[in-house]
Amino acid sequence: MDRWALVSGLQGDLDLYEQIQKELKQQRGVANLFVLGDLIGSQHNCNALLERLRQPHRADVQPECIYGWWEEQLLAECGYRGERKADGLREEQGEAAVGDLLAAVDADHLNWLASLQFGFIELDCALIHGSSADVSDRLTEDTSALVLLDRLTRLDVNRLFTARCQRQFRLELFSGSIQSHVKDHAGEHQSEQAIPKRSVIGIGGGRQYTLYDPATDHIEFRIAEDPSHASGRGFG
Amino acid sequence: MNHAVISCLHANLAAVEAVLNDIDSQGIKTITCLGDLVGYGPQPNEVVELMRQREIPTCQGCWDEDIIDGLNACECSYPSQLAERRGHRAHHWTAAQLTEENKAFLAELPMTLRRDKLLFVHGSPNSQHEYLLPDMNAYSALERVETAGAETLFCGHTHQPYVRELRQGSIRVKVQQRDQDIPTEHELELPMRRIVNAGSVGEPRHGSSKATYVIHDDSTGEVTIREVDYDVVKTCEAIVDAGLPVVFAWRLSHGFEYAERAEDASHVCER
Repeated sequence: MDRWALVSGLQGDLDLYEQIQKELKQQRGVANLFVLGDLIGSQHNCNALLERLRQPHRADVQPECIYGWWEEQLLAECGYRGERKADGLREEQGEAAVGDLLAAVDADHLNWLASLQFGFIELDCALIHGSSADVSDRLTEDTSALVLLDRLTRLDVNRLFTARCQRQFRLELFSGSIQSHVKDHAGEHQSEQAIPKRSVIGIGGGRQYTLYDPATDHIEFRIAEDPSHASGRGFG
Repeated sequence: MNHAVISCLHANLAAVEAVLNDIDSQGIKTITCLGDLVGYGPQPNEVVELMRQREIPTCQGCWDEDIIDGLNACECSYPSQLAERRGHRAHHWTAAQLTEENKAFLAELPMTLRRDKLLFVHGSPNSQHEYLLPDMNAYSALERVETAGAETLFCGHTHQPYVRELRQGSIRVKVQQRDQDIPTEHELELPMRRIVNAGSVGEPRHGSSKATYVIHDDSTGEVTIREVDYDVVKTCEAIVDAGLPVVFAWRLSHGFEYAERAEDASHVCER
């Protein structure tokens, strides 16, 4: 079975995307590239990257994209989310950042961004920017295991790949139980529920990306070479 | 001190009056209402005005929200298209009947009420539309209570009264981070938490036509599920006379569990 590459937080950086594509081609058996949101951001002009993602080169590992927190902010500000605006971005980075984001993405890309899905379910895995609760949900290895289990249970999956926290980790919930005692009009009954083995995987963001082998459940955390260094190599 | 918790009154004045009489007859002075004052039933203004007159602290239910904000829940709130059409018919009828003053009252209702470690909501702390059924995944049920910072969560919405205690929970966790050769392990011990569902005053769905509510003893934590007889026929006749779907009267007269409930009860509508 082919391996997956999981990427997020490119934020309009085409050089970084090309560097990751280059490294993926050097890997064996990576045939699926999932871009878990934050394709855009306020720091770069994002149009070249968006064009490349929408019309990949023939040699590219073909990207499958979902939307992330930055796309949610842009779409909200542009009226794609009802009465909501880019409140999260305003709160975190101020009004200027909203203006920068609007300037970073041509209006031609808005409908395509709005067509992106919240997440993918592939095999027994959920691939989501934040979590099953919300695109802004920041799951980390320090998040309560109870919350992590809830986010897995909502989708009924064994593995949840998340990108929002931009950290790389694998957290495994591997044993435990809880007792439930219910009293209603029909009487009282007690039951015990055990935890199935389940995982939450932080895939990282920006230069950090993750390779996953569904056949063996093996995860490899990687850091792409800095494209500003890589591009000059051998041509001095 | 005992306090009473009522929910899902659904514009059924005869049931509300009977339940309030039952509470008063026990000398209980504190009452909390978990919303859904309107919808399905034939006396929305009368029920809202009674709650206002009695000054009973009330949180907003899904019907109260929808009457103010429009039908925001998607069709997933209904088990069938017929049920959805019936629900919409009742929604439009109720919206037309309610006075502006009563609508304004519903609009001002809070999502939650809190008293120390007791939290009062209509559906769940996440949404007025989420069903916390008694057989919901125990860890998820505990998460709803714990994340909200409560020890006991009072809810309604399902129209089925129950008391659920979640205890002796634990989760073992293994964490592998980048650049870390050996994973770390730890165990999370979970606290005991309770969910108390108050059932429904105005549209019981627990297999009996009797109105239900709960009494909670603050000092011992004991919860009593109460069933109260009321004049069901009177309300059924009023439903038919008002031109509301006859199936509402039929269901009310039996206390049937068939209801406008989502197939996936844990679904939280984001529309």
